Amino acid sequence: MRLCAGGGAFEAIPRPRLELNLAEVKLRLEAAGFSVVDARVMLLLKRGSEATLSRDGRILIKTRDPEEARRILDDLVGRLGLPPPAGP
Amino acid sequence: MRGVMLMSGGIDSPVALSLMLRQGHEMVAVHMDNRPFTDDSPFAKVTDHLALLRARHGQPIPLYLLPHGPTQVTLMRTTDRHVGCVLCRRFMWRAAERIAEREGASVLVTGEALGQVASQTLSNMRSATAVVRLPIVRPLIGMDKHEIEAMAKELGTYGISIRPGVCCQAVPDRPATRSSLVQIDRQESKLDVDGIVDEVVRRATVL
Repeated sequence: MRLCAGGGAFEAIPRPRLELNLAEVKLRLEAAGFSVVDARVMLLLKRGSEATLSRDGRILIKTRDPEEARRILDDLVGRLGLPPPAGP
Repeated sequence: MRGVMLMSGGIDSPVALSLMLRQGHEMVAVHMDNRPFTDDSPFAKVTDHLALLRARHGQPIPLYLLPHGPTQVTLMRTTDRHVGCVLCRRFMWRAAERIAEREGASVLVTGEALGQVASQTLSNMRSATAVVRLPIVRPLIGMDKHEIEAMAKELGTYGISIRPGVCCQAVPDRPATRSSLVQIDRQESKLDVDGIVDEVVRRATVL
C-alpha cells in the first residue's frame, strides 16, 4: 500500500493483476453494508471512507490516514479473498 | 468581453484566468465536479483560487459547480474506455457552452497547454471541441510547464494547486493520444447526449 500520485489517497496494486467478476463482488460488498456503484471497469465503494476497486484488483482508498486505509484494505482483502498486497 | 473559464483546481487554469482578468475581461468560472472519481480537493482548490483572484482583480467571478461524476459513470458503462478522456472533455465543453449562453458570455477559456497530458494533443483537442460553437481562448497554449509554474508561484495560486488530492480515477490505463471524429461520434451515438447535458445544467449550483 502506498500514497497515490496526487497524495490524497492510498492505493494497493496486486501483483500479478487479477481479473475480478465485479458483478459478483458488488453483491458481496452490498451484503456487507457498502454502498456500491458499478461503473463497469470499477466499483465505487462507500462505507465511511470512499474507495474504488478496479477489475484488475487495484484498490484506492480516499483517506490520508494510513491506519484507516490499512484497516479498510485489510477488510476488503479479507472479505473478497484477495491475495494480501505487498508492502507496509 | 464576457467569458466562461473552465477551472480544474490544477496549476494552469488560475494562471489563464488571471491573464484574462488582467486584460479587463469579465469572467465566470465553471468547475466540473468529478466526485466520486476524485475527492473534495479539486473543488476546495478552485474556491481558494477564486478567492485569491477575486481579491487581486476586484471582480466577483461567479462559480458554477456542475456535477460530472454521473456523466463519467455513464461513459464508463457505455463507451470505449480508450477514448474516455476525449468523451469526458466533450461533455465539459458542452456544459460550459450552456453556461456561457445563460451568462451572455461570448467566449470559452481554458488553461490547456499543448502536450501536457493525453487530452491536450492537437487531435484530441479538435475532437473534444468539435461540439461547441463559441470561440475558445487558451492563453497558455504555447507555454511550457516551467513558465506556467513560475507565473502560478508569482500569483500565489501554485501552493493551492499542489495540495494533496486524488487524481481522476476515470482516466483509462492507456488513454488515446489521437482520436478521430468518426470514432468519437460512433461512441457518442450510444448515449443520450442532450439528456445528459440538460441534467448536468439543471443541477448546477452557483457560488
